[in-house]
Amino acid sequence: MNSALTSIKLVLLGEAAVGKSSIVLRFVSNDFAENKEPTIGAAFLTQRVNMGDHTIKFEIWDTAGQERFASLAPMYYRNAQAALVVYDVTKPQSFIKARHWVKELREQASKDIIIALVGNKLDMVETGAERKVALEEAENLASQEGLLFFETSAKTGSNVNEVFLAIGQKIPLKSAQQQQQGQGSSGLRINDDSRVDLRAAQDGPAPSSCNC
Amino acid sequence: MGVRSASSSSSPTRREMYQKMSASSSSLVGSLMKTWKSSRHSSAPDSSDGNIEAMQKPASFLRRSTSHTSPGPSHIHMSPLRKSLSGSANKDKSHHHVQKKDRYFTDLDEDWSAVIEDSNTPIPMTSNGGIELKPAVTVGSASDKDQSVSRSVSASASYPNLPRLNKTQSTGLKSQYEQENERKLQELNALMHRVAKFDLILHPPNGNQVNLSELRRLSWNGIPMAHRPRVWRLLIGYAPANIKRQATLLRRKRQEYRDGVALVFSKEHTRDIPTWHQIEIDIPRTNPLIPLYQNPLVQESLQRILYLWAIRHPASGYVQGINDLVTPFFQTFLTEYLQPAQKEDVVKLSPDTYLTHEQLLDVEADSFWCLTKLLEQITDNYIHGQPGILKQVKNLGQLVKRIDSDLYDHFARESVEFIQFAFRWMNCLLMREFNMGMVIRMWDTYLSETSLESSGSESSSMPATSDSSLQSSPVAGFREVSSSLNLQSKHATAGSNRQTSLSEFHVFVCAAFLIKWSDQLMNMDFQETITFLQNPPTKTWKETDIELLLSEAYIWQSLYKDATSHWR
Repeated sequence: MNSALTSIKLVLLGEAAVGKSSIVLRFVSNDFAENKEPTIGAAFLTQRVNMGDHTIKFEIWDTAGQERFASLAPMYYRNAQAALVVYDVTKPQSFIKARHWVKELREQASKDIIIALVGNKLDMVETGAERKVALEEAENLASQEGLLFFETSAKTGSNVNEVFLAIGQKIPLKSAQQQQQGQGSSGLRINDDSRVDLRAAQDGPAPSSCNC
Repeated sequence: MGVRSASSSSSPTRREMYQKMSASSSSLVGSLMKTWKSSRHSSAPDSSDGNIEAMQKPASFLRRSTSHTSPGPSHIHMSPLRKSLSGSANKDKSHHHVQKKDRYFTDLDEDWSAVIEDSNTPIPMTSNGGIELKPAVTVGSASDKDQSVSRSVSASASYPNLPRLNKTQSTGLKSQYEQENERKLQELNALMHRVAKFDLILHPPNGNQVNLSELRRLSWNGIPMAHRPRVWRLLIGYAPANIKRQATLLRRKRQEYRDGVALVFSKEHTRDIPTWHQIEIDIPRTNPLIPLYQNPLVQESLQRILYLWAIRHPASGYVQGINDLVTPFFQTFLTEYLQPAQKEDVVKLSPDTYLTHEQLLDVEADSFWCLTKLLEQITDNYIHGQPGILKQVKNLGQLVKRIDSDLYDHFARESVEFIQFAFRWMNCLLMREFNMGMVIRMWDTYLSETSLESSGSESSSMPATSDSSLQSSPVAGFREVSSSLNLQSKHATAGSNRQTSLSEFHVFVCAAFLIKWSDQLMNMDFQETITFLQNPPTKTWKETDIELLLSEAYIWQSLYKDATSHWR
């Protein structure tokens, strides 16, 4: 473990079938499946990205899109440091839903959460489908709310990695490094996140306290 | 550890259970538990089932069960579930390791852990005493022979100690070859016996009533493919037990479905666009890897079924996962129109190659009504807030806390929450965890469980069944087994009024499923745990694995009945 490692908890939100799971699949496995089973509850995946001398580990909760499952979402965005709010550029309804998610995150999630607005299925526009969400409309929302903004295609892979890299660049590394040091001195597994600290607290004195 | 032993005095812990079971040689566990299951229903074990070898074992199994606190030969047997702890693959997580050593390694020798290294591999054919039913395996088929031979071979490879055990227990000096032949013959006999039994139940020689209790008892252990469509319709309370009324009622219900579709898709009805849209996008994503479900005709059928159901059940509406639940019915009812040799090909064939439009509509109608019946039992899973699922997840947590407190504590330490992996288990009845063939076998048992409850509540709309007159014998059998297990106080009441529900049984299946991986999970951190449970290694599961899981769930349910009485 030479390079410093930062864990980022990231959540994906958005209407059903806009391609949340496909974006994650592209990012994590560089793969695409035409018909992916609808996500039930939420799916968890991870991916590491090297950024210079720094490694970022994304811990991704990919939530189910259907309205009926929305009550589960707070559990997943509660502690998230970043969120992807995804819509389908060919489905105006999905953009309305994206606005709702941005609002909810602003109200309920942690104050410094980094939100990326992601218009997916750009390949469909390029292959003749009608674009239903104008670029300007999405850009306006992004600038008003201070969001990162990308249009992507999970199918072709276009812009998908860029979303995650942009989030990685915006994560304040200072706090991450502190977290890193804290873990190192506790003698616990170095490549894990704050859960380790939690467990150390539960188990009683951390190994480092023996020095006192 | 103190905690562990304190709890074990009041109720059996997981390790004790498995000690008991492994004491009777692991390959027999499945058949023993199934025997227990079936013998609870009938006071005299019915060896005409072909399950002869297994039938001889319950007595010794039960004797061992009662004496589990006293030191005996069974003590040297370690839980197969803890096997990996002794492996060198262990990660160095010292404090866990030491703890577990304290708990599980006190009475072990090294050899035993080596012997059981493969105990989690699929249980060989011999284990189920011929209960396994593969109707496609016709009498004398070559593939069947090959299969059973190769399975016995793998059995002796994986369980080097077993042939010796078998010899001493049953056949003495007979050669392995003779034993195999005998076994094959037994399996064949068992299959024929079971097919004949289902035939007899479905066509009772004296009277017009199908004996539903008997049908449930038999179906719990699996239904021959040829009988499955008819039996499922009966078990779930769609088709009446009165044979004379079956044709009429099915005709009426199938017409009712057609009328419902006509109405909902007529001009008078305003389309519920969001619901329609949601179903429309989910249909191509339903079982995407099975060719049948990419067939346009099939997709249209499923879309009609789901939309009609959603419109008629506004409190719930369409919820993702219901699209999964309709498919076992649809696929099973399609097989009714296929020749025996073709039934396995239902997943590949386009329905229009073997049935007419009207017949497809009949399949559609049957699927609709059976889905309706199934969802009646788990309505709370899909209404706003999904309280049924939340409750089941909570119950699962409590259950695991009692059965396997080590695992429960480990999850707590790693901040693994049950809802993070078990929500899908509840929402899709574990369908995403197994391939379709296994799901359908599982549903033989699930539908046998559902009907216990629905038979009462449905009596107004469905013709009276002959249940009440037949309650006595299964209960008597159950009591007998209970008393041998020294659990009479717990079960006498439960047995005489065994009210169960699909939701409840399903929680026990989920618990059994989770605990199956306990050893591995104990060595995993949060991330590994969630990843593992999202993609459990079940792709190679065979019917025997599913049957073992169901039997384990049944045993947990019997043992923890008192703990769950407040669930309802």
